[in-house]
Amino acid sequence: MQLNRLIIPAVACLLLSTARSQNLKKAVQISGTMGVSYEGYGLTRNPAGWTGFNPRKPWNQLRFSFTPTMKFGKNWSIPFNINFATKATNFAGPYSGIGKQNIGQFVTNPMNSFGINPSYKWAELQLGTQYLNYSELSTGDIGVFGAGFDLKPGAYRIKFFTGVSQRAVNFFTGSPATTGAYTRHNWMFQIGKEKEGKYLVALNFVKAKDKVSSLAVPPPLVTPQEGFTTSLVTKIYFKAGWYFTAEGAQSFYTKDLNAPLSTTVNSFKPFIEGHTSTIRDFAGEGSIGKRSSLFDIGVKLKFLGAGFQTPGYPFLQPDRLDYTVNTRINTWKQKMNIVASVGQRVNNVSNTTLRAKQLIGNINWFTQFNDNWSLNLSYNNFGFQAPGGINPYGIKNVSNDLGINPSYSWSNSSMSHLLSLNYNYSKYDERDVMTGLLTSNNTHMGLLTYVPTYFNKDLTPDFSVLYFYNNFPGFKTALLTLSSGISFSAAQKKLRLRGQLQYTLGKNNSFSSSNNFIASANIDWKLNERLTWSNFMGSNYYKYGNEITPAGASYLESNLRTGLQYRFGK
Amino acid sequence: MKYLSHILFFLLIGTTVSAQLNISLVVSATPPGTLSDWGNRKEVFTLLVFNPQGTIPRKAIIKTTLLGANGNIAGSTDLARAMPFSFPGGNTILGANDALPLGTMVFTGKYKASLERTGKLPAEVYIICVQLVSPVDFVPITEERCRNFSIASYQLPIAVMPFDGSVLDAAHAQTAITFRWTPLAPVTTLAPTYRLQVFEVLEGQKPMQAFRSNPPLVDKDIRGTTQYIWQPQLNMTVCSNCPDSVMPVKQFIWTIQTLDPRGLPVGDGNINNDGRSQPILFQVQPAKRKSAARATLWLNTRGVYA
Repeated sequence: MQLNRLIIPAVACLLLSTARSQNLKKAVQISGTMGVSYEGYGLTRNPAGWTGFNPRKPWNQLRFSFTPTMKFGKNWSIPFNINFATKATNFAGPYSGIGKQNIGQFVTNPMNSFGINPSYKWAELQLGTQYLNYSELSTGDIGVFGAGFDLKPGAYRIKFFTGVSQRAVNFFTGSPATTGAYTRHNWMFQIGKEKEGKYLVALNFVKAKDKVSSLAVPPPLVTPQEGFTTSLVTKIYFKAGWYFTAEGAQSFYTKDLNAPLSTTVNSFKPFIEGHTSTIRDFAGEGSIGKRSSLFDIGVKLKFLGAGFQTPGYPFLQPDRLDYTVNTRINTWKQKMNIVASVGQRVNNVSNTTLRAKQLIGNINWFTQFNDNWSLNLSYNNFGFQAPGGINPYGIKNVSNDLGINPSYSWSNSSMSHLLSLNYNYSKYDERDVMTGLLTSNNTHMGLLTYVPTYFNKDLTPDFSVLYFYNNFPGFKTALLTLSSGISFSAAQKKLRLRGQLQYTLGKNNSFSSSNNFIASANIDWKLNERLTWSNFMGSNYYKYGNEITPAGASYLESNLRTGLQYRFGK
Repeated sequence: MKYLSHILFFLLIGTTVSAQLNISLVVSATPPGTLSDWGNRKEVFTLLVFNPQGTIPRKAIIKTTLLGANGNIAGSTDLARAMPFSFPGGNTILGANDALPLGTMVFTGKYKASLERTGKLPAEVYIICVQLVSPVDFVPITEERCRNFSIASYQLPIAVMPFDGSVLDAAHAQTAITFRWTPLAPVTTLAPTYRLQVFEVLEGQKPMQAFRSNPPLVDKDIRGTTQYIWQPQLNMTVCSNCPDSVMPVKQFIWTIQTLDPRGLPVGDGNINNDGRSQPILFQVQPAKRKSAARATLWLNTRGVYA
């Protein structure tokens, strides 16, 4: 890539020049980091031509980061957030499968960020890539490349941002295939009042619109869309730890801008003009509770209408109602801590005949009995039930997980020891909707860990042994893992080394055993006060038993990561 | 002469009959609930119009009527606003955008409310009938063709375990991590394929950034169950660029992509049309760091590290 020829020398020069100039006294204060790293990945499969295991990373990848914050006196500040990689690896989303990128696609690709946020007192200018979170129901999950501001004069809050969240990508059936995407413009605006720790009232407006003309050939599975959401969010914090939050949102979403305009339904001019594919729905959430050092309790409710879609959270699943009660108790001279929650999620709320219910409950109970003994108990449960519809039986899945984790620690004048045992039992039942038969999937896991800590040596080893057993009708899996790690310093603590070895013996039913060996090492070399050279080397060898064809197939993954990181400031 | 006039009369009748338009209707038995999606998928709705008169185009309006489960009219074409089509000789193939144009369909009651709110028809059994009528007086010029179909409002799976925001012990997680999710509901006749995808959130990345840009560490097809035990074969206890004071925490974001038996994403009601459920996060953290922190606390209480 041409870009690499420019970027690599530029970053290297920047690293060196910055390193030299640090002794100069400056009126400007700089903190943060910048760096460059290379990652190489290798995969060897045996026998040659066997494709039972696919590469998990790109063969080569270069990543750059530049995230310093420059401060000029008391009031001026310029934080940079520049992170980018040279090779596109998109798998999900609009850039999925993209190979060569043009400049526009490179800049707006979610794997890259080019953001600068200069601020003066209460005024912040937002330039480049920004992931802005206005509220839970308006926007927060989308990176947009553009420009905007965040003003906080007194108690007032005024925010605005506009830009492009995705560039057009042509549909392509070849390898790799791309599903295609239209150029999408985004706008967001918030106005409100806030007093930190006291209250917040804000009105949000979020809009996104695809440019239909950005693609010459429409992709078959993607339609140009437009969305507009408005929400009112309120947060109030009272004395004595009580709080109340609420948000109500109304969304308009056009699923296909090519559909004809509609004069009868779902327009909210001038923000969005209704098409025959435009839908409109409501969402709301709220919570109320009390927090204190010894006791918390809270109730949370969330409703998303079946047609609620907001461009700021494109993966939000609508048509559901959640309600949960959470609590935390700190007692017995603060040696006992209990965290628990119970709640229900109703899916398909709009559909009275096929409504599904999901119960979720969990509790974590930690007790420090004395200086040596502690015990952690945890229990998680979730159940999912839905009517069968045309099937004789409805869906019923129930999951139960119990964890018991006692720990014992002791010490003498030269070292301390920690011994931890962890046992988990997990049961997962699934009902067959045709026969009504219940399939029970049971898992047992035992883990013993020993961690010695030397007071006078810079040496930290750890050892663990794990046994994992899972069975359901017709299938059994057993895994035994031995693992050990060590970390220590050398060269007057300029060199930090960490390493780990892990061996796993696996067995499925009566097939012959599989073997897995993982080795890895980190070497971090502090070249000077600010510059660190970090290296990671890892390999993973896996050899199957005769449970697959070809019997005894194996693969070897290798991973090398090396990078320079420069730290600004003190 | 008398016979000739009879022959001419029957020939004329025959020509008129053969000049009638013929229609054939193909509708999927289980189409997506979102009506605006029908127009983009030919396999869902196809209307075939045959004009036997090769040289004379015929004009007609497509009259579509949708009947709900109880036989009530759920929606019908507003004939006064419908645009007439000109059918040239031979076959003309039309899709839902032509025969079921949402701009000129008038829906009633709960069907109207559901379409405005969700874009979907309520889940039930329907009958759709199509007939061609003359443009001026709306007199039927073809027979009515009807087909049955049922709408099931599918709800994509919900990722459940590891729970959103949960922290797993690295020593356990590097051997096996159990994933569970709710099934596609309601259950389909042919089992869908669940595609489990797990992405690592790299340093400096936001979770959604990682989800939309990284290659998955796992991309596994699962059928017939809603659980998968992943053996990560990753070292979870070390990481580069981790200062001593910072725990080497690895963060992952995961989702389920649901595919129908043809391998196409179940995208009904999913604005990305990719069948991916809302992704959730979990972290993996070495217990020894937690233990070390606990041990340090224990030693501090004795003044060892005063």
